[in-house]
Amino acid sequence: MNSQYLRPAFDNPVDSAQQGFRIALKAISEPGLSHDLGLVAELDSLAPATYALALTLLDSDTTVWLSPSLDTPAVRANLAFHCACPITGQVQEADFALLQASEAEFITLFNNGTDRDPELSCTALIQLGSLDGGQTTIWQGPGIETQREVALPVETVFWQNRQAVTKFPCGIDMYFIAGEQIMALPRSTQVNFQQEN
Amino acid sequence: MQVLARAGDALMSFEAELTAATYRRIRAPETGMVMVRGRAGGTGQAFNVGEMTVTRCVVRLDDGSTGYSYIAGRNKQHAELAALADAHLQGQEQERWMETLVRPLQRQQQHKRLQREADIAASKVNFFTMVRGD
Repeated sequence: MNSQYLRPAFDNPVDSAQQGFRIALKAISEPGLSHDLGLVAELDSLAPATYALALTLLDSDTTVWLSPSLDTPAVRANLAFHCACPITGQVQEADFALLQASEAEFITLFNNGTDRDPELSCTALIQLGSLDGGQTTIWQGPGIETQREVALPVETVFWQNRQAVTKFPCGIDMYFIAGEQIMALPRSTQVNFQQEN
Repeated sequence: MQVLARAGDALMSFEAELTAATYRRIRAPETGMVMVRGRAGGTGQAFNVGEMTVTRCVVRLDDGSTGYSYIAGRNKQHAELAALADAHLQGQEQERWMETLVRPLQRQQQHKRLQREADIAASKVNFFTMVRGD
């Protein structure tokens, strides 16, 4: 038994999960805008918003993959206890993946769906130090009126890997998380680098 | 656990003792449904008897012991007290809790069961079928 790792989750499971879902939905319908998701305290290696999203989205029907840097006994025990989600060691099997932005090499391994069932692709929850302060990128697509400038602190290889797995309708939906802030990047958003003038 | 799960309101009289130690709710009491499965005669193929309401709860005492409870019905207070009792029973003072809590409840439940069996036995009727001699 690993009951010593268990911690309380949402104070009010039903209301908090509904709020969390509403915020997640709002975030992914407005790519590039950050939203507050401070419903629960942090859990070991998981930021507060990562844990809140996990408690909201994961259940016994969703297979979860944890990246090496986030995979701790406490995270495993609590996800298994509160979400009852199966945790897999196979990246390709995951419905949800929890990772840090520095682990961009895993992005090409995720399941990005098939033309027949694009909705079966993996959703990545990506933890960052902040949602600002990196190279400026221009986001365009559904949910953005003209274009939106976002400066996520991620490496260029991250965007290259995302480009490699995005073949609409196939692709990976992403949530970027820093502390209690979340920002979503669905597969339908095009990311371009700012043109040097 | 069987004794605690069956205790019902009898557990309420121990509320003060059980809640004396500080504790946290890992999983606050919550009510849900479980499917009860059965086998005809205990050996036949498994079939679904029906759903029943259960309430479950998990608590952790400050000394680190974790208590779990699953009870029939929707009595959240009962579920929490049963989980607390389970946690206490895993700690250092297991024998004391067995003596003051579990055994009295067990005796009480046994007494009730025997009494009910006796009541039923008194109303027992035997049916005889005469063998037709033809």
